[in-house]
Amino acid sequence: MDLLERYLQAVGEYLPARTKADTLAELRENLLAEMEGREEELGRSLTQGEAADVLEKHGRPVLVAARYLPQQYLIGPAWFPIYWFTLKRSFPFVVLAYVVTQVVAWLFQGGKGMDVGAAIGHFPSVALTFWGVVTLGFACFEYAQGRYFHQVNLSKGWNPNDLPKLEPAKGKRPSLAGGVADVIVSSVGMVWLLAIPYKPYLILGPLVGHLREMPFGLTPEWHIFYWQIISLLAVQLVLKTVMVFLHGAEQWRKGFDMVVQVIGILIIAVMVQARTYMVPGTSVGAMSMKDLTTLNAAINLGFKVVLVISVVKLLWDVWKMILSSRTGHKGCVTVF
Amino acid sequence: MESTIQNELFDSLRLELRRGCLILAVLAQLRVEHYGYTLRKALADEGLAIEESTLYPLLRRLETQGLLTSEWREEEKRNKRFYRLSAAGAVILEQLLAEWNGINDSLHKILEDKEEKQEKKER
Repeated sequence: MDLLERYLQAVGEYLPARTKADTLAELRENLLAEMEGREEELGRSLTQGEAADVLEKHGRPVLVAARYLPQQYLIGPAWFPIYWFTLKRSFPFVVLAYVVTQVVAWLFQGGKGMDVGAAIGHFPSVALTFWGVVTLGFACFEYAQGRYFHQVNLSKGWNPNDLPKLEPAKGKRPSLAGGVADVIVSSVGMVWLLAIPYKPYLILGPLVGHLREMPFGLTPEWHIFYWQIISLLAVQLVLKTVMVFLHGAEQWRKGFDMVVQVIGILIIAVMVQARTYMVPGTSVGAMSMKDLTTLNAAINLGFKVVLVISVVKLLWDVWKMILSSRTGHKGCVTVF
Repeated sequence: MESTIQNELFDSLRLELRRGCLILAVLAQLRVEHYGYTLRKALADEGLAIEESTLYPLLRRLETQGLLTSEWREEEKRNKRFYRLSAAGAVILEQLLAEWNGINDSLHKILEDKEEKQEKKER
């Protein structure tokens, strides 16, 4: 019986004080009856090992005690989908807010020597804090409903007429008219870009008059960057034209799009390496030189951010393509 | 490997299926007074074995919900807690039994319809 008392003591460790004595008294009686029933079957007293078998069968003390407690959830099944949806939808905004905060902090510090590695390394703790705050908020809500206010019934109080409009089917092959329109728009875009060096007002509008008064000028890297973009767009235009006229080339589209994305990433990587984008004009003071350094650093950071986003997007598209090839569904890749 | 997964799935679905039925069986059995151990024995004798670690906490929960009443009483020189169906429990039991019979009838009808169609197909 010493074993039984030890077992009850272990169960009691996990029971609330208010109901502990009553629960243990009942459990003792039931377990004694179980053991006596077993003794009746055997026609003799139980050995220590047989008594231990009865208790082992009854269950681990912590689990037995848990069954006497009310069912508790940190976030219950009714609210978990909403919680998960909130986390998923708000995470990109957390990333965006973090990037903006880091850039603003860096600009306020004079725009010198930003440690991108440290900024990225600090992000997991920010993401973890965000997750903790959202989880705590939902846990408090879960705890409070039913105790301090009525249970919120999610299955009521919604109107099917408020549902968003039907989205176009994903993975659907583009129509011929859509493809032709895409080629026309891309061609006009190409012509527009090609005309900019000769007609700067096409991009700067009324600001073109102020361009000559600026103490800074563009470096030759911009010239290279411009022609690289033109080349990339030309490749894209050729591919889009091929897609329109060649039936069955759709299966190659995803691959071509990936190639175009990779070329785009390489161009941005070249610009990140350049570091100097603006050079001083003929009459530049010490103050303007400081501004120029800040401006170059800001442009470099901008390219770094675009590079990171482009790489993440490429990886995401590759992942979607792998998934769609596994499931047999047609994936949908968009050109950045 | 596949058979292990299938067994686990069966166990999980079986548990889900039994959960509601056990409550019905316990309420029905407690139209006559029992304490924990004798209730378990009675259910097992009827072919419905329940783990003691499942049954005893379930009795507490049903009592908290007002479906059972209980009292400590001495029997064979030992204090035991006896449970019995409460008036509210009796009403709920009637409603649950009606629901159970409805489900049972529908299920039989579905199975019979399917068997009939299968037989017609085979002919």
